[in-house]
Amino acid sequence: MESPQNLLSYFYRTTKLKAASELLTLLFNDCLFLASKVLFLANSQRHHIRHVKIITTELEELINKIKSSLHLSGEAEEFLYSISKEKTFRKGEVLIRQGQVVKNTFFVIEGCLRSYVTDRNGKEHTLQFAIKNWWISDYIAIHAHELATLTVECLTESKVIQFNAKELDGIHARFPEFEPYQRHNLERHVVSLHKRILNQLQLSAPERYDLFLKQYPAIEQYTHNYHIASYLGITQQSLSRIRVEKAKK
Amino acid sequence: MKALQIVKYGEIKDSLAINEATKPTIQATDVLIEVEAAAINPIDKLMVLGHLQGMLPIEFPSTSAYDVSGTVVEKGDEVSDFEIGDLVYSRVPQEQMGTLAEYVAVTSVAVSKKPGNISFEEAASLPLAGLTALQSLEYAGIKENDKVLIHAGSGGVGSLAIQYAKAKGAYVYTTTSTTNVEWVKELGADRVIDYKTEDYKTIVKDADIVFDTLGEDYTTEAFQVIKQGGKVITVIGALDEETAKMFGMADYKMPEELAKLISAKDATYKYIFMQPNGAQLGEIKALVEDEKIKPVIDKVYPFSESIEAFTHLATGRAKGKIVVKIK
Repeated sequence: MESPQNLLSYFYRTTKLKAASELLTLLFNDCLFLASKVLFLANSQRHHIRHVKIITTELEELINKIKSSLHLSGEAEEFLYSISKEKTFRKGEVLIRQGQVVKNTFFVIEGCLRSYVTDRNGKEHTLQFAIKNWWISDYIAIHAHELATLTVECLTESKVIQFNAKELDGIHARFPEFEPYQRHNLERHVVSLHKRILNQLQLSAPERYDLFLKQYPAIEQYTHNYHIASYLGITQQSLSRIRVEKAKK
Repeated sequence: MKALQIVKYGEIKDSLAINEATKPTIQATDVLIEVEAAAINPIDKLMVLGHLQGMLPIEFPSTSAYDVSGTVVEKGDEVSDFEIGDLVYSRVPQEQMGTLAEYVAVTSVAVSKKPGNISFEEAASLPLAGLTALQSLEYAGIKENDKVLIHAGSGGVGSLAIQYAKAKGAYVYTTTSTTNVEWVKELGADRVIDYKTEDYKTIVKDADIVFDTLGEDYTTEAFQVIKQGGKVITVIGALDEETAKMFGMADYKMPEELAKLISAKDATYKYIFMQPNGAQLGEIKALVEDEKIKPVIDKVYPFSESIEAFTHLATGRAKGKIVVKIK
């Protein structure tokens, strides 16, 4: 086997990771374990190299946020950098397309995105909007290993952090410290889904609209009326009526 | 693939047949659309009857119709605006006629994404009539507070022209028969004239624009109701000389009576020959998504009954558009 120093220098040369020095410390504590890990990481990261070199403040901010809720090793942190990149998309750009393979999941920095399904008749039904600090993707496709049921599009120019969905989803297998973090996120997600279903079943359309405005403040500047109507499951005409009634109050 | 084809000129029942046809192949600038719905228009009926054989000759068999909505399933190497899976609508150009089929190849510049808030059937009903309305009123330079008379407000073109004119902030007069007055009002027309009980010529005065979708006397009468310097746009009246030249009729002269009326009012007279245009369909998409324009459908037929759809069209009694669901 090659010496840890050689491996480290190879790793550093191929990935130019900042964390190489951190790894060096670990290396002396448990040479063999880390040697294999570094080799694995270097190999697995070679094709991610072009994603690695830009470490943006937004991405750092997100990772710092993750760090505040769990202890993140330098290695895990570098891995996060390696599977993500910051991207800006134009208004109307489609990030995930119904019927195609889903590769990415998105964390929103700026702008507004929407996921929707198109029914047999060609009409759209909005599942979710995503504004600053929200995640959006097609989780049905990611978790059930299917092609996309949803389309995800930008309603405005949007700045996002794009993660490789498969790597992010499987991150806990490589770095168990993510387990509680992912579990917590999943729980929050289930809660919000259940709330959305129950609201849809029991609240009146005006009540749902009020809740929507609380959940997505200032979203109306980004959207067409039909986007909101198709989220609430009502017609555009009903939405207009609700707004008129609301304005009278 | 299955296709509704014109097999000869003549009566609808004898001249149309559902045939097995070859799936079209695409050029570098085309997209192949898997058709969800197609709409038929008066021009499709005229094509079958052979009334257009001088101007637009076809070979037999030819697949019928121009309006389509569906999904992009293939695209040429030079197409960058569309992706496989895009839901689109189009009025296909003459040389690509044939939307009453399972697939149609269309040059991508004639295609737009379909509005997301309406069904495939509704989207298929829009292109030809919508582009006719938009191109006519845009040529007239329609603007806020213009007084516009739109004939036949319940027709495929009229119903969209009313909504487009209202979206531009115009004051809209329209003519229709008693039974249609109420629903034409709902389209937003400011003054609906029941031609069975009222004479529009005594109601409309000093109009900025008349949009003539009826022809014959209605074309000449338009000059009675426009203001000095007003505009008459027709899609059915006599050709103007500029348009005639475009069709290669270099020595065409307008009927003398019409020429006199135009000069007496110092008016603009223009025959609009609708051109396929994807960018303008994009404008219509935005207006539909903003609820400024709502498609008006008379009836949707299954593909197996598409010949009946044509006989219904031939009655001329449809309120809004006749659509055929292909898938």
